[in-house]
Parts: sequence; C-alpha cells; structure tokens
Amino acid sequence: MGPLSREAWAQRLGAFRAGPSAFMAGPEGESLGRDLLSDLRSEKLSEQTKVSLLALSMEFPDQLWPDAAEAEAAATSLLDTLRLLAPRPSVLRRPLLLAATAALVAGGALGPTSGASGRLLPLLLDLAAGRDGDGVFGPAAEQRPLQATAWECLRELESCQPGLLGGCLGFLRGLLGLEGPVQPLSLLLALALRNGLVIRARAGAGLGGLLTDSHFPTGGGPRPWDWTLAEEGDGRLQPQAPSCPAAEEGGRGLAALETSPEEVRELRATVAQLLDVCYLLTPVAQAQLLWLLGWGLQGLRGQPPALFKPQLVRLLGTGQLALLHAILALKAAFGEALFTAQDEALLLHRLTAAAQHPALPAPTHLFYLHCLLNFPENWPLGPSGEEGPPLLLGVQLCQGLLPSLLQEPMTLLAHLHLLCLLCAEDGEEESKGRVQSLRCYLEKVLAGLRQRASLAAGPRASATLCFRASYLVASCLAGQPTVLTSLTQGLAQLYQCRPALAPHFVDLLNSVGPELREPLRVALRQEVVLGTGSDGALRWHLQMLAKVAGRDGQSTTLRFLQEAAAHCSDWALQQALLQVCRSLLRDGVAGGLADLLQMLASQLEDPDGQDRARLYYLLLAHLSETKLAMALGPSLAAPALASSLVAENQGFAAALTVQEAPAALRLSVGPRRLEGPSPVLQLLLEPLQPLYSLELRFRVEGQLYRPLEAVHVPCLHPGRPARPLLLPLQPRRPAPTRLCVSAVYTTPTGRTCHAHLPPLPVKFEDLFLPFPSPLEGTGSSFFEELWASCLPKGTESRVWCPLGPEGLEALVSRRLGPFVVVAQPPDSYCVAIHLPPASRLLLRLGAAQEDGVSVALLTDDWTVLPLVGDYLRGLSEAA
Amino acid sequence: MAQRAVWLVSHEPRTPVCGTVRFSRRYPTVEKRAKVFNGASYVPIPEDGPLLKALLFELGLLDNDKDFMESRDSCARINKTSVFGLRIGGDELWPVVAFLKNDMIYASVPLVEQALSPRPSLINISGISQAFELLFGVQDFLCSSQKNDDELNTKLGQLPDLLLQTCPFGTLLDANLQNSLDNINVASMTQPPKQPAWKTGTYKGKPHISISINEKVKSMQYDKQDIADLWQVIGAVTCKCDLEGIMPNVTISLSLPTNGSPLQDILAHPCVTSLDSAVLTSTSIEATDDSAFSGPYKFPFTPPSEAFNLCYYTSQVPVPPILGFYQMQEEEVQLKITVNLKLHESVKNNFEFCEAHIPFYNRGPITHVEYKVSFGQLEVLREKSLLIWTIGQKFPKSMAITLSGIITFGAKNPEKQPFDQICIGGTAYVKLHFKILDYTLTGCYADQHSVQVFGSGKPKITTQNLLLLIITSGILKPLLQ
Repeated sequence: MGPLSREAWAQRLGAFRAGPSAFMAGPEGESLGRDLLSDLRSEKLSEQTKVSLLALSMEFPDQLWPDAAEAEAAATSLLDTLRLLAPRPSVLRRPLLLAATAALVAGGALGPTSGASGRLLPLLLDLAAGRDGDGVFGPAAEQRPLQATAWECLRELESCQPGLLGGCLGFLRGLLGLEGPVQPLSLLLALALRNGLVIRARAGAGLGGLLTDSHFPTGGGPRPWDWTLAEEGDGRLQPQAPSCPAAEEGGRGLAALETSPEEVRELRATVAQLLDVCYLLTPVAQAQLLWLLGWGLQGLRGQPPALFKPQLVRLLGTGQLALLHAILALKAAFGEALFTAQDEALLLHRLTAAAQHPALPAPTHLFYLHCLLNFPENWPLGPSGEEGPPLLLGVQLCQGLLPSLLQEPMTLLAHLHLLCLLCAEDGEEESKGRVQSLRCYLEKVLAGLRQRASLAAGPRASATLCFRASYLVASCLAGQPTVLTSLTQGLAQLYQCRPALAPHFVDLLNSVGPELREPLRVALRQEVVLGTGSDGALRWHLQMLAKVAGRDGQSTTLRFLQEAAAHCSDWALQQALLQVCRSLLRDGVAGGLADLLQMLASQLEDPDGQDRARLYYLLLAHLSETKLAMALGPSLAAPALASSLVAENQGFAAALTVQEAPAALRLSVGPRRLEGPSPVLQLLLEPLQPLYSLELRFRVEGQLYRPLEAVHVPCLHPGRPARPLLLPLQPRRPAPTRLCVSAVYTTPTGRTCHAHLPPLPVKFEDLFLPFPSPLEGTGSSFFEELWASCLPKGTESRVWCPLGPEGLEALVSRRLGPFVVVAQPPDSYCVAIHLPPASRLLLRLGAAQEDGVSVALLTDDWTVLPLVGDYLRGLSEAA
Repeated sequence: MAQRAVWLVSHEPRTPVCGTVRFSRRYPTVEKRAKVFNGASYVPIPEDGPLLKALLFELGLLDNDKDFMESRDSCARINKTSVFGLRIGGDELWPVVAFLKNDMIYASVPLVEQALSPRPSLINISGISQAFELLFGVQDFLCSSQKNDDELNTKLGQLPDLLLQTCPFGTLLDANLQNSLDNINVASMTQPPKQPAWKTGTYKGKPHISISINEKVKSMQYDKQDIADLWQVIGAVTCKCDLEGIMPNVTISLSLPTNGSPLQDILAHPCVTSLDSAVLTSTSIEATDDSAFSGPYKFPFTPPSEAFNLCYYTSQVPVPPILGFYQMQEEEVQLKITVNLKLHESVKNNFEFCEAHIPFYNRGPITHVEYKVSFGQLEVLREKSLLIWTIGQKFPKSMAITLSGIITFGAKNPEKQPFDQICIGGTAYVKLHFKILDYTLTGCYADQHSVQVFGSGKPKITTQNLLLLIITSGILKPLLQ
C-alpha cells in the first residue's frame, strides 16, 4: 500500500483517538503501526502531518507496538528516520527522539541486549552534551531545543530504569559546573544521584567513584553503555515520597550506605552545587529538585539537612503550591533537624494564611487545608495517619478557616471538618470557653444549612450539602452528646418542615454510627407518627417509617398505620404501607400487627396488596420470631438490590431454600473395622461450626458399588467429640474407588446449607473380609481345601513382596493379621481373603529372604491380579 | 511527580452527554511506572469516553433527575479537596485532580509512586501539587486574553505543541505555557547559558520598569449588632521590567503613609530572592498590635521577561471606603426600599465609574417602579428584576446619597428566574461596584526613587495605582441566625 494522503491520515488518526482499543481490534488496527513508521519517511506527506503521526506514537506506543520485539523494531525505525533527515531545519527531530524513547520504554525493550537502546543512549548523551558527533542533528539553530529534548529523554529513561545513568554522575556534575542549560541538567543529576544512592545503599556498598569519575561515558570509540548500576538496581522503581512508609521498607534505608569521609564531602558538594542553582529553575522544577534531594538525603549519614536552609526562607515567601508542598516534603523528611519549633510555627502560619488567601484559587485553599490537617509535626501527639489540627495551630489561627454559608459546598465541608476537629478537642480550662463558642458557631452553621435544605423549592444540592454536613459532624463528634442532641432535634425539625427529604434521612441513618442513629431514629419515628396519616406527605412518612419503626412505640405506630391505610388509595402507597408492616414483622412486633394485616388483607383494593398482607399474616402466624427475622432480614447472599421486591425474595430464598455454602466440616477415613458381612468404612467427622440435622450423601464413581444410603447425624459441635460413622459398602466388583460426598445441614441461624466435601478414597484393602475362622487345629486343611476348590477355574501367580526393616512377622501381623489362616513363623503363612461380592484371594507367604518374600497367590477372579500385585508390592511402604 | 494523563473537558449543560473532551494527552512511559509502583492496586487510564462520563458524574455535572440517588447524593460521599476517585468499570481511578472553571473541567491523574491501597495521604504525593500547577498553567493560558470561542479553539489547537515543550514525558518543566509559546517563536534565537529557565530570551532596548498596584476591596456590611461587618483589601503588585543583561537585579520597595494599615499575608513571586522576616511573619490570622511592621517592604528579585505579579497582599483598613444602609419593607405585592450610601472623607472622590446593583430574587419581573434618587440615575431592568443605580464620577459635597422607591412585581416564573437559596424573604443585598484610578485604599505606593537596579542602565520607571470594585451588602438577615 502506498502512503496515505494527509486527509486519509487525519481521518485515520481521528478514528483511532475516538476509541483506540476498538480501532486496534478493527481491520485497520494491525497495520497502523507499520504504516505510520513507513509513511514517516514518505516525501509526499507534509512535516505537520508527520508531527501528528509522531504525536500519536508518543501517546500510544503500547497500543501500536505492544511487545518488546515490535517496540525495538519501531525505535530502530524511528532512529533510522532521524538519521535520514536532510540537514536542513526540520520540526521532526525533537518528536522523533521523544517517540523513540517512548516506544522503547513503553514496549519494555530498554535493556543491554537491545540494539536500539545501544544506539539511542549514546546519541542522547552526545546531543545533550552539545556534541554533534555525526553532524546529523540539523542546523545550529536547532541545537538548543534538541539539547533540551535529549536531556528530557535521558531523564525519562533514568526514571523508568533507575541506575541507567549512574555511570555518568561524575560527568553530569562536571557539566553543571560549566555552561549549558541549567534546569534539565540539574534535574537529571538529582534524579540519577538519588537512584544511585538508593541502589548502592541497597547493595550495602559505597559510592565508589560515582561522583568523581568524570569521563564521558561513551567517549573514546565504540565503548558500550555501562549497565552495571541499572542491573544492580534490578530495574526496580523506588517510591519517592520521603515520608512514605514503603520507602522505609527493608529497614536499612540509606543509612546502609558505606561512605568514606571523602565521598561524604563530594556528595555534600554535589548537593550544594544543585541547591545553588535551584533559583534558576522554574518553580515546578525547583519543587521536583527538592523532593528528589529530600528523598535522596533522608537518613544519609554525614549529610546535614542544613544545606537546605538558605532555600527555605526564599521559598516560604511564595504562595506557589508546588514549592510549599516541597517544603512540607522536606519537613516530613528531616523534621526537627531542619525545622526548629519556631520554624514549624512560621511554616504553619504561612500555610494557614495561604489556605485562605484571597489571591489564591479555591482548589489551592483546599489542598493547603488538607496539608494543615496532615501536617508533619516535629512531635506529633495523635496517632499517625489520622487527620487533626497540629498542636501549634490554635483556635485563634483558625478563625479565618471557619465555615460560612456563603461558601461553595466543597469548601464549606472542608472548613466544617476543621471546625469539627477543633470542637472535638478536650482542652484545658482556659481553652474550654473557646471550644464552647466554636460549638455554638457549629450549631449556627448547621442550623443555617438545615434552613436552606428546608426550602420547598430549594435545589437538591442544598439538601445534599446539609446531610453531608450532618454526617461529617456525627462522625467527627460522635463522643459529644450535646452536639448530637441538638443535631438530632434540628434534623427532626427539618423532617417536619420537608418530609420529601425522607430518602436523605434514610441514607443518613444507614451511614452514621449508632451514637446518632438511635436517637435520630426515635426522634424521626415520633415526628412521623404524631402527624396524621392523611396529609400529602404520606408517601414520605411511610418510607421513613419503614426505616425507623421498631418495637418501641409500637402502639402509636400501628395506630398511625391504621389511620394511613384508609388513605392508601394507590398501589404504590399500599406497597409502602406493607413495607412498614414488613419491618415491624422483622423487628418482632406481633400484638396488634396481626389485626392490622388482617384488616389490610380484606380491605385493600389492589389484589397485590391483599396478597402481600395475607402472606405477612401467614408468616406472622406460622413462623417463630427468629425465623421471621431471618426470612425478612437483609439477604447475605447477594448485595442488596434497589428493588424491594427482589430484596424481599432474596430474604425468603435465603431462609426457606437450601443455600450453597463452603464445607463446614471435615471428613476423613479412620482405621479399618471388620464388622458384619460387608466391608465397612469408618468415617471421622470434624465440624467447623455447630451443625444440625446433618445429612451426608455419597455417590460412588463408576457404579462399582451399590448406591450408598445417606447418613444422618442430629447435631455436631466443634470441640465436642463426635462418634465415628460406619458406612457399609456393597461392591459389585472388588475394586477400589472414590466416594463423592455432599452434606446438607442447618446452621444455628436457621439456614439450610448444602456443601460439597472433598472425595473419600476407598482402597483395595478396605474391601478385604476374613473367612469364618476354622476350628482350632483345622486351619491348614481348611486352607488347602479352599486352595483346591479355587484351582480349577482360578489364576495362579507369584509376586515378590519387598520387606522393610520391620521384618516379615511384624508385617503380616500388622497388615494381614485378621486374614491369616495358618501361621508357622517364620517360614510360612497362609492367608485367605474374601473379596466381596464373591471372589477369593489366597496367599502363601514363604520364608523371608534378605530383602523380601516370595508370595504365591491364587484367586478365582483374574481381574484383581494387578490390584493384588500393587497391593503386595506396596505392603511394606504403607505405614 | 509525573502525570499519567491530562484532560480538558468542556461542560455543556442541557446537552445529551453534558460535555465534550476537548483535549487529552496520555503519558505511556509514566503509565509503565504506575503499573510497577501501584502493583495490585493499579487501575489503567480509561479511554476518553468512559472518563468523560465518570468525571461529569463525580463532579455532579450531569443533568439528571431531581430524585435522590444514593451513588451520587449519599451523605457519606464527602470530598474536601479537588482530588477525586472516578468509578470506571468496577475499579476506582484515584487520584484524579480536577476542577471546573468557566465551564471547562481541568483534570489530571498524577503518578503515585507507591501502592494505592491503603490510600496514601495527598500530602505525601508529589504529583498532586504538580498536577495543580499544570492545570493552573493550562487554565491561565486558555483564559488569558481569550474573548470568544474561536480564540479558545486556536488556543486549544496550540496545546499539544505546548505540552510537547513543557511536559514532554508527563513531568512538568514549566507551568507558564505562554512562556513556552514565546520560546517556540524565538526558537532560532540562541539563549545564553546560565539563564534562568523561567526567563525567555533577552531584552535589547531602553531600560524600562513599570509597576502597578491594584487593590480590590471586598466588603460585607450586615448592619446588624451580632454580626461584624467585614472589609478586606487585596492588593496585587504587577511589574514589567524591560532590562538588558541576563540576570539584572532589581529591588522594589513598597511604602505606606504614616499610620497606614500594614500589609499582611504577603505572597511573593518565586523570582524574589529573599524576604525580610518581618515581611514573612506579617499576617492577618493573628491579632496585630501597634508595633506591627509597616514597611518599607523590600522585594529584591531578578525579573522574568514577561509582566508578572511581584506580590499579593491583604490589608485591614480601619473603615470601609463607602458605608451602606439598605432597608426593605414588604407590603403585599409591593416592596418599599431605601438605600443610603456614604463615601468616607479620606477616600478620593473621583471615580472612573461607580454603580450600585440592587437585585430582587425569587420574585417575578418588575412591573412598576416609583423612585426618588438624591443623586445619579436609576436604570430598571424589568425582566432581570434588577435596579442599577449609576452614581457616576463623583459623590456630591455632602458625600451622602439616598435612593428610595416602591417596586411592584409580577407573577413569578421559575423557568426564567432561577431559585436563589440565600436571598429569601427579607434577605437581600445591594452590590456596589466602583473603580478609582491613581489611588490605593491602603495608601501603599512604590516610590520611584526606591527602585534599585543593578547591572543595567538607569531605567525609566512608571507607576500606576488602581482601586477596583467593592462589594457592599445591605442586609443579609436570616443568615447565621
């Protein structure tokens, strides 16, 4: 296919961007990456179109060339395209470098064995150092932007493969001392330094000559790239956040770095060099540099954090988000070593001022407020990881951060949160008055929010805000009864003003802790039942009541319902009414409810309603209280669905049908027992929870035996010994098998469960039965008779039975004891085994040889021969 | 500290989808790192379609019905910062830094260099502040001197190239995108070494420094015993320094008249090299005493090429520049109003404009007005239920003016007049806007003679002062009762 036109490409790129995965799955997807690479060299396409192709390959290399081989090929092709560019100004050089880098990294192709990596890295370093080795990098005017791009590519490669530039540290340091663009160089140096420190510390090694070896890493001919440090680092990326716990994993941290005094000096000089030029970087780059150095030097011996001090005063004066955030990172990294108590107070002042500064936008305010509540204090008092105002942030400082009704919802909630945290503090006597006035203020704010939410025409947002604020207060001040009491009263009044907020109330009751839930439930129930059942808000009252009705005040509730029933003219209202009856049923309200249900069953016009009322009546009349609660309670089997009918069905289904459950008991085969006319398996039961009415069902694989009867056990308790079960087997053929076992039982909560248990093996020897024992002294003749009677149709064979250290006598008595007819130790044993249903197996064991015994065997069922062979050969092995 | 992806989404209410992705950029190399760092808690960046839906939902910008919906309205869903978690498929993409400004949603997903479960605190994620800086930078670029949709489209068209310059691999190099645009345009010019990264090119020509001080005063006057009136001055000092040399050093000092109210909460531009500790600690959040530092406030700096805000400050002047009084009496369908305004004698009585807006919320359109003004003209916007009292350039000699009137309203039309949840019943306000040239309320000024320049010839210095906008409220009664 020839190159596509500009329009065709525009269309194709548009289609790709609209849905990359759909496009790649479509017919054109497969060839996109290939076409893109080949058309980059087409002379018919304009540079602008090619730039858009490159933009795509920078953004989606993992879709275009998903595996390492393809990525490698793509990067090679991009580098070739770069080489083939005519030496005139072109806008393609920068994007080509970026695209090649992105393809290598995203495809996972970067590594010592990759040819493209081997080409790209020296090329980037040459460009970055301002050495236009091959003269292919275009005219002089493009040098600076290209140089900057090369630095960026190197930084990205180092970010993704830590240690990659570890060998260049000395070289980079040398460059920083000379001329050249300061920002990309210092950022790369800081990153490579940090990564180098981490890798060496992990290896427990020193810095070596990393900082002083200033040779040009690829200079002096075709020297290969130095991958040692990158491989030492194992390509593992390290967390960068100074205070992040993952960074301290492994326990050793940077303290493990073995540094000589000279290395310490060099390192300090490098850091000082970086900090000296920090001012020349853009604010965001300064922040990055500080994060990197903060992390790099945290816990490192001999590196006083005082190096950062001169920067701090300058940075504290700005309101720039990235810079203040970086200071907080340094604070978290170095704590008191860098910030005295006075410094900490100053930082808090600046942060508090910035969190409300009118010149800064709202998202910045909110982030600063978050930083205040998570402030890395020198001596934190509270548990770490919990939000709280720092000790030095007094009530006085927070005056400007108190919530106001004129604020945006998010700002209001953030400020309200702070206010709650301040109110929660149990201060000393002197601060009690202040906390008291804060609580008054809090109540005023909440009242204002409720007032807004109570407006009939008010938007949903004001109601949502009011309930979020109430939730926040309830969760922060759960231990403050006075606050909760006034909150409860206020909310009850709000319901009175606007019953249409019932869904919000239900949600609040579902979300808050018991400290507010219980009093609010009672208050709301009273609020509902005190009204008449006839006003326009009946729908909301019923919805509310379904949530808050309970055993308490049942007579008023029932009276309200009775009154309401007369006004429930439509289906929805009737169902809502029955929903309340349902929650009363669940809570065990019986007296009076039966009358109501009976009345509903006869009076409701809608057949649905009648049926449901009748059903509830029947349930009430026939089920015990616990079973009823179970049947109507929330289903544990599936997440609650929105539809009450479905949820209800699930409740019934859970309680009244059998549930599939994981095995609640362990079953194993115990020692053999010879009882009765057929082989018997002794089963040991080990319950994991109390089980009632246990029924064990067995199925034999392959119909080798007659079907087995189920076994019943009335009850089992963990910890109490259970009697072993005897399971008689009725083989149709003497062969081993496996029994599939399932159990049906009832749990203490009344559920009936069904569980599959692991299959039980039935071994060949489990089927052995002895012959009736002959009279004393006639054993030998009895055996000979048996032998003779078997002989005509039987099969005779001889098997070598290896003997273990225990010897023949012990083995026979342990394994074959019950079946021995004649025993003349140590020379001869005669063994007769009855194999149900109707086979015989006769064994003659001779004298023990050095490592085994020869066994002559005779059976009238030739099919068992291989089984007997296996059995005898394994006789001494089995314990 | 890198970003995994950036989006600009325009919010289009009352359309089927309610928004369009106007720009998006993904960073696959950062994504690769995210996969390693986040481990089992990694959630991939979604395609634009699902992202748009999830973002609009999370920010509550979908036009959906008014009924309560738990996934959206539940009281336990509380966001206290502009950082969100987006439900995409069965997973939650977090952290997503996003905010809405002028109908445009700015969103970015910063890389978190550790596992996401348990969630690390935002303060420990370096990428969060970088994401904000990037989005603010994009916002500044889009909003600067943008007047219409065509200009917005042009600027959006420039974004891919700009981000290629300032954020090629997701790690932000400069939040000042306009700077980078200028850089592209002067790409052929070679930059001298050791130039600050935030300075584009070098200036050739006559040295010139211009300084302008703009103050805004925001005031809320409740005229109630139990609620304190508020007024606060917010100042911004803008500079443009055209000076030769790579790094000229300039020092500008701001001075106050004797007994002037001290400047507080000073936020300096990052190019300022050092600040006096007195400047750093001067703050409005703690009660100040008479001994508070009152200048001169020195700002030594190396200027960037473009105009920039040298510093912002706040100040608490002793009295508001204009005192307002607003009274409203409701009589059946009629409202009787009285507005008194009094200019403080210390304020320069020479306005570029001065007008008072008197809106009426939650009522129908104005059908009839009878009024009397002691000064100025009254304009009636009937449909908007708004009165505009144009006071003009000067207050009369008495410095006090009065408006009284009786207004009749028609039937309320909720479609045309959206519900206001603050101005209900007797709660209402008058909003006063004015602008005074060559005047600051604090008296703060940059003395030409105090400007010091090192390493360049003596520059011409121009200074300009401006007092803008006041928001005065009349009565805001039931609030906080």
